Amino acid sequence: MGLSELLSTYGDKYLQGLLATWSMTAVSFVFVMALAVLVTVARVSPYRPLRLVGDLYVQVFRNIPGVALLIIVAYALPELRIVLDWRTCVIVTTVLLGSAFGSENFMSGINTIGVGQIEAARSLGLSFTQIVRKIVIPQALRTTVLPMTNLLIAVMLTTALGSQVPLNPQELTGVVSYVNTRATGGVLAFLVSALGYVLTALVISFVGNRLDRRVRILR
Amino acid sequence: MSKTDAVEKSGRDVPVIELRHVDKHYGNLHVLRDVSLKVKKGEVVVVIGPSGSGKSTMCRTINRLETIDSGDILIEGEPLPQEGRELARMRAELGMVFQQFNLFAHLSVLDNVTLGPCEVLGLPKDEAEARAMELLERVGVGEQAHKVPAQLSGGQQQRAAIARSLAMRPKAMMFDEPTSALDPEMINEVLDVMVELARGGMTMVVVTHEMGFARRVASRVIFMAEGQIVEEGSPDEFFNHPKTQRARDFLDSIRGH
Repeated sequence: MGLSELLSTYGDKYLQGLLATWSMTAVSFVFVMALAVLVTVARVSPYRPLRLVGDLYVQVFRNIPGVALLIIVAYALPELRIVLDWRTCVIVTTVLLGSAFGSENFMSGINTIGVGQIEAARSLGLSFTQIVRKIVIPQALRTTVLPMTNLLIAVMLTTALGSQVPLNPQELTGVVSYVNTRATGGVLAFLVSALGYVLTALVISFVGNRLDRRVRILR
Repeated sequence: MSKTDAVEKSGRDVPVIELRHVDKHYGNLHVLRDVSLKVKKGEVVVVIGPSGSGKSTMCRTINRLETIDSGDILIEGEPLPQEGRELARMRAELGMVFQQFNLFAHLSVLDNVTLGPCEVLGLPKDEAEARAMELLERVGVGEQAHKVPAQLSGGQQQRAAIARSLAMRPKAMMFDEPTSALDPEMINEVLDVMVELARGGMTMVVVTHEMGFARRVASRVIFMAEGQIVEEGSPDEFFNHPKTQRARDFLDSIRGH
């Protein structure tokens, strides 16, 4: 099967797949960032139990293979009467994995802030919450644009886990299986999907670099 | 607050800052040994001594950036709270100026100065900004208000940091080696601001190596060595008639060239 035949027969399917990948990536990334902030705040909080929970969270979800986690979410949680639809399963898995890495990015961003600024904030009488909200999070966000850009790409690639469950519509990688079970698309079927990922990643990098230059903190 | 406390507090003799028998260790190192000190309203106490003598640590215990092992620290007769909201409230009343300036890197100079008043004192933004501009003008960095700290020279950053502290209308200000990280040509612009503050009646504790500053404005000089207050006196007494051999050695070493 040639490229023109592949696209004329399955072009719609690929387009739907690309949109499904984009939408799962976008939804996942919003939750990844929100959860990463929460976990990171726990990890720098003055309360030891909270710090331990935050560290444990990162250690668990950073060190578990995506497929294994997906199986747990999709097939073990129903045993606990938590039944999620397939798309949600993929997003939850992606968010758990991504937020662990996101928190690591934030921690390295926080380490660039320097204890002096925190001492200055404490000396002004700011509370822990105010310091986190006004000093730590804004600086951590602005110094981690590039690693977070990488994370966004990684999140997009992680949504390919969707190919392991019956999604409707399927995302980019799932589309390849769909095509190859119906026709002999072979490597070409993969390459079309790969092009979708690569072009998206290039756009993300470009925007990430521009954003980084705009918000970077002078030191 | 009990009635007797209130009476005592209103009395003129209650020191703004008081340390009573303060001790502190870093592991085996005894960094503060039985340090007692009273700073009255309007006094400028200059703390000098060789490096490692505990003078910075002592300065930092006053708003509990450093905890202490034993002893008491009182602010206007009230014990310094251990932590939480009460400690934050007390810190808001004491200014602190650091060796490394420690301006907030992501905020403009103006926002550095308004952050405390807006967040801690609850001042409306426009009022805080008007006051911040006034202070920035006063320390000579009004034109830099909309730049970020990294665009300022060290001397300008330190003056902005002083304005940030002043914006809280503190009862007293601590300066922890405020000119030690500055290029020589910028030291005087910062000292000039501090001299003006001192003459304006601000209660100050200043850890410094600037002997000229000590001679000009100190009400009292404290000489520390090995975690102890070794000598205490007027600038004239201390610089011209030091009582202890250690103080004489120290003065000789800094006058050596």
